[in-house]
Amino acid sequence: MIHLSVRNLQKRFGGNHVLKGVSFEVNGPELIGLIGPNGAGKTTLTNVLDGAITPNSGTVYLNGERIDQLQPFEVARAGLGRTFQVTRSFRRMSVLENLYVPALAMGRPGNRHEMQEKAMGVLEFLTMDHLRNEYAQALSGGQQKLLELGRLLMLDPDVVILDEPFAGVHPRLMEIIYAYIRRVNEEGKAIIIISHQMDSIFSLSQRLLVLNFGDLIADGPPDDVKRDPAVIEAYLGTDEDEDAVPRAEGA
Amino acid sequence: MRRHVPNILGLILLVILTAFPFVYTGNDYPYVMHMLITAFFYAILASSWSMLAGYAGQFSFGHIGFMGVGAYTAALFSHYIWLSPQPTGLCTEYQIGGHWLVFVNAIGVTSTTLAQDCLHTAMAKWGESVQVTPMPVWLGILLGTLMGGLFGFLVGVLVLRLRAAYLALFTLGFAEILKATISAEIEFTRGQAGMEMPALFDHGITLFGHHFTRNDKLPPYFVMFGLLLVCLLILAWLAHSKFGLYVRALREDQDAAAALGVNTTRYKVLVFVITTMMAAAAGATQGYYVGIVTPNSLFLLQMSLVVAMAVIGGVENFVAAAIGAVLIEFALEMLRNSFTIGGFVIDMTVWRLVFFGLLLMLTLRFARNGLIAPIIAYFARGHVARETVAKRAAPGSPEVVE
Repeated sequence: MIHLSVRNLQKRFGGNHVLKGVSFEVNGPELIGLIGPNGAGKTTLTNVLDGAITPNSGTVYLNGERIDQLQPFEVARAGLGRTFQVTRSFRRMSVLENLYVPALAMGRPGNRHEMQEKAMGVLEFLTMDHLRNEYAQALSGGQQKLLELGRLLMLDPDVVILDEPFAGVHPRLMEIIYAYIRRVNEEGKAIIIISHQMDSIFSLSQRLLVLNFGDLIADGPPDDVKRDPAVIEAYLGTDEDEDAVPRAEGA
Repeated sequence: MRRHVPNILGLILLVILTAFPFVYTGNDYPYVMHMLITAFFYAILASSWSMLAGYAGQFSFGHIGFMGVGAYTAALFSHYIWLSPQPTGLCTEYQIGGHWLVFVNAIGVTSTTLAQDCLHTAMAKWGESVQVTPMPVWLGILLGTLMGGLFGFLVGVLVLRLRAAYLALFTLGFAEILKATISAEIEFTRGQAGMEMPALFDHGITLFGHHFTRNDKLPPYFVMFGLLLVCLLILAWLAHSKFGLYVRALREDQDAAAALGVNTTRYKVLVFVITTMMAAAAGATQGYYVGIVTPNSLFLLQMSLVVAMAVIGGVENFVAAAIGAVLIEFALEMLRNSFTIGGFVIDMTVWRLVFFGLLLMLTLRFARNGLIAPIIAYFARGHVARETVAKRAAPGSPEVVE
């Protein structure tokens, strides 16, 4: 049973208090949306969770193991994987090589033949098998996003954090990303999606976390969050500006 | 078939270089052989630097410094440690079996005129009755290699958080500090006077019934050529293993590689250790071959030459970098011949470096992957685009469905 426990995370950059004691739990294969205006601390939270940034205080436990003081590669091996807001594929490596990196780092599948088979399966799922030997730099922006997702399928973590997976993606590729999210979730993994695309977030998520200036101001089912006055004021809009809520409802 | 062309050409080149010393009979045999040995030396430096900078993206400008660590470790080892059948009674010495391991005292550059070190004082007293022996050359090369690896480890750990220009400046600083230290520590290193080293085969060597003297070029040719092949084989093995995959991921995006489970610290340090060991091994071997090592061999110009060789060959392919080194070494030698145009004498001892710089600039401007690497890539990866197009056009492919 997957269990991610985030307790009172705080992070300061100089005088900028970016995370002000964020706490939440993830139990089992939840599909969670993490939203908040620009500067809310979403990416910082992700960087703290994956070990890229050490928090000033607070703890993170994944399946009983404390991970907030670990290096990013140790966090990945402990079972937390992520994508980046700006795609970070290994551009001068082939698509297949991009997929082999996490597979070899995790030591699974056990042998090279199985690893190749799994990688080809991932590429077929992402409809990219014809591009397997191309360098990643030859791919479109959307395809590079898919490649990042493919790398996570090879890493096979318990908790997946997707940072802006839908940004700048063609609708057809968006369908593949939706299918990816559903597949990973059905495999029993927890997924945290960070996005500014409210339609996608509200239609996919079973639970929403809302960050505002480093505070977690809401945590609950999307319908409840949509009606939360603090969220409406901070993010979705005031009573005078009803655009955001009806759009979300229509998702 | 086409993708095997580089391997076939490599095999042909290997056969040619192996047979060359036996079939070449020109009057300039020693000169040409010396050029090839020097070219192999630079090829080791360029190819190992290619793994460090081209594959792993660690733009170190201290590679020549690590070469110097190897050369000076071997030189100090050969200069200060000897084996004697009798105790000198003057030096620090330890009995090992029937021999004495003698540590000679440092006296700087005045040894032959004003003062004698403890061993030579004892030898003068002994006359011809006692023969001391220097430490084995292979042990000097081994120690130099290990010391290069140790320095590589230390520098690798220190530069863990440095990237790009900061890494380049740090490693450049390391090489310059090393050169300055060697120049300043005259008592131990003899400063600018340099340290003499025994020949690779001080008493000659007999191979296949033929005796080669210490001045013959064939034995050192095969020593340096063998070292180059060993280095290239190790680099090839590394490049095709998960090590190669990880260091390339490191080059592309260190944070992304770490987020995918790669222990970037370990591989960053490892690539430093392995490549600096190669540079140190080359330095120690070259020191024994040339017979002297001086701080001048650590000049920034030497590092620039290695970088230029790798860049012109192709920095992201260690074989291309090695070929580039050999070609550039030959080109620089060939360009030594001055000539006259319309009454003007072109002094190529000066102008050859200008031509060389021009070639480097043109390569960087028009062929950023070098001149050799794209040829290898054409054969090795030329099929990829065709395959992609063919698969995309196949029934059921995503593009067709769309």
